[in-house]
Amino acid sequence: MKLRHKLLITVLALASGGPLQSAQTDSEVAARKVALELAGAFSNDGFKIRDGHWTGALKRGEQAVIAVNLYAGNQYWFSVASQGGAKISAVQLYDEAGQPLTTENYLDEEKIAAGFAPTVSGQYFVTIGPLEGEPGTFCLVYSYR
Amino acid sequence: MFSHRGVIGIILMGGAYGLLAAGPAPLTPDQLAKAAKSDTLTIPTPGELFAALSKPGKPNWVAQYRAPIPMTYSNRAQIALNLGGLVADGFIAVEAQDGQQVKNIGADIIKLAKALGVSENVLGRGKSINEFAENDEWDALQEELEATQNEVKSSMQSNRDNDYVILVSLGGWIRGTQVVSGLIAQDYNADAAKVLRQPALVTYIQAQVKEISPDLQQEPLVKNVSERLSDIQKLVTFPGSGTPTAEDVRKLNEAVSSLMGAIQNKPDAK
Repeated sequence: MKLRHKLLITVLALASGGPLQSAQTDSEVAARKVALELAGAFSNDGFKIRDGHWTGALKRGEQAVIAVNLYAGNQYWFSVASQGGAKISAVQLYDEAGQPLTTENYLDEEKIAAGFAPTVSGQYFVTIGPLEGEPGTFCLVYSYR
Repeated sequence: MFSHRGVIGIILMGGAYGLLAAGPAPLTPDQLAKAAKSDTLTIPTPGELFAALSKPGKPNWVAQYRAPIPMTYSNRAQIALNLGGLVADGFIAVEAQDGQQVKNIGADIIKLAKALGVSENVLGRGKSINEFAENDEWDALQEELEATQNEVKSSMQSNRDNDYVILVSLGGWIRGTQVVSGLIAQDYNADAAKVLRQPALVTYIQAQVKEISPDLQQEPLVKNVSERLSDIQKLVTFPGSGTPTAEDVRKLNEAVSSLMGAIQNKPDAK
């Protein structure tokens, strides 16, 4: 992806606060920026970043569960970033029955990504947490090819 | 499976992650039921669907173009549904790498968006689409088309037209499914046909449609679409292996094509 376009997407997304989202806090905007940076790295391999995202705050012990619909034949990266000192320990994928799936994982202090290639189309669930440490704000974006 | 040369400074955990950590517990039915869902994340773009279909071999995307649709609808629900369909057409043109077609569809998207009274931000997106099309930036166009659609939806929300947002997504899903089921029906391949299984997605769309205002639900086109979605939900379920047969694909294509016909129909169109 051209650098100019990546910049445009990021700037527009941040400037608008993201479509279809209520007004976002500074932490949510910052978390999204980092998540987009991580997802942008996968763009070099032909992954296209979805414009939609999920943001939310999590406290110790809390877990976010987000539903997505994926297509067999595609490959996906789910990129999550945190703000506010929270460290992400896991991003996990589950099938439509709630069974955990094996993913390829990347982990850094404030960002993490899980890669998955479904063989069955349908609904899947992405979880962030349960959070073990400090509370924080999280953002999930995903990319596909 | 995945390559990752673009990821610098990120620690590869790989298989060790799964070996070191105890396996996660399955999600409970309550967790599944309460999972967060949103229009922009839970509903895939037509581009995602088309990307999956392109894996076994490049389909003849140009053959999937349709004649220009009317730009003079007066019914706002019909405009919203057709706007979504046009965005799907834009993704088809991107798959075909046809810059002129992308520009034509981009112009039509802006015309319908204007008819819905959306903000100036959306109009600026039209310029970006043209620029990317002129420079053959196909990946950028995929993302720009989705961003344009989301900008339209965001503007609708600002204008208190929230009820129409799901209709845009629905129009895009129907047009995308029409094209993909048509391609698979022409040259059936079980692997490719797997992309058509999306029962939970249709259930989610149905639930969203049921939440729009009672007045709008009674609007004849919306009522028609809503009723037909129940049948379509059954047609995209494919119990068992999740792989539709050639006959399943044909029936689905027939149903979504008929619905698409109703959505774009304007008897007095010139």
